[in-house]
Amino acid sequence: MHLISQTPLVAQLVSEAERLQHQYEYLSYGLTAAWIILVIYVLMMVARERKLKREIASLKAMLEDKPRTEPRP
Amino acid sequence: MREKILYVLGIVALAILAWNINAIARLPQEAQQGVTFKIIFFHVPVAITALTAAAVALLGSVLFLVTKNFKYDALAVAVTEVGLAFLAANLVTGSIWGREIWGVWWAWDARLTSALVCWLLYAGYLMLRRAIEEPTQRATFAAVFSIFAFIDVPIVIFSIKWWQNLQHPRPVFWAGGSFPPDWTRHFLWNMAAMLLLGIVMVAVRLRQEEAQREIDSLRRMAHVL
Repeated sequence: MHLISQTPLVAQLVSEAERLQHQYEYLSYGLTAAWIILVIYVLMMVARERKLKREIASLKAMLEDKPRTEPRP
Repeated sequence: MREKILYVLGIVALAILAWNINAIARLPQEAQQGVTFKIIFFHVPVAITALTAAAVALLGSVLFLVTKNFKYDALAVAVTEVGLAFLAANLVTGSIWGREIWGVWWAWDARLTSALVCWLLYAGYLMLRRAIEEPTQRATFAAVFSIFAFIDVPIVIFSIKWWQNLQHPRPVFWAGGSFPPDWTRHFLWNMAAMLLLGIVMVAVRLRQEEAQREIDSLRRMAHVL
């Protein structure tokens, strides 16, 4: 008898827990999505930075080599 | 030295955000939307950062057209790109929030549509820059386009006042509501951290624009030799 009277309360608690879990899921999706977008952008910037540094180094090396390799008049 | 300061500022911004996530998780649930409402702590700061970036892009573009100084063009492209990333985060978090509260991922109401149009316009700005080779022409066309694109920003902001039958709710403060003090404190911390993160990203991006200009001048020198 005691157990039967408690059943709606248990059901209510279970449903509340499910609702909370569902909401936390969406909150985590939102935060994860925001972070993933910003992290992807930062990684793109890092890749671009490396490419620019490589390009500057190769151009400087080319300019240093060029006068030496040119034939003298 | 400048690089180190940027890294330190970036770490400070990330530390504030990490500490704040923990604090926000401990805040009580909102009465109607429950835990999901806490997306607001990211959704709104990224939006404000993105729209601030758009305003700075407008300023940079106008200053470039007036002075023809390429520093302002570099500023405009740097803030536009960073703002686009933040606006993308805003659109995605809004969509996830809408899925939980409205039951749909997207609604074609004035607020959401104008925000999407804003993202597309600034993406178009970056594509336009890639399409033009000559630097002066590229900067001039891009500046004019950026000024034109900014017209959408007030529409995004005031759409919730101008159109009544919107899916998107009016902001808490505009609707006469308020946050409890501890909510306001954490919201402002997140706001400051997102703005700081945006400033650091713009500074890094500006340095890359300087490097690109150096590459252009080195190429010209190589071509002359």
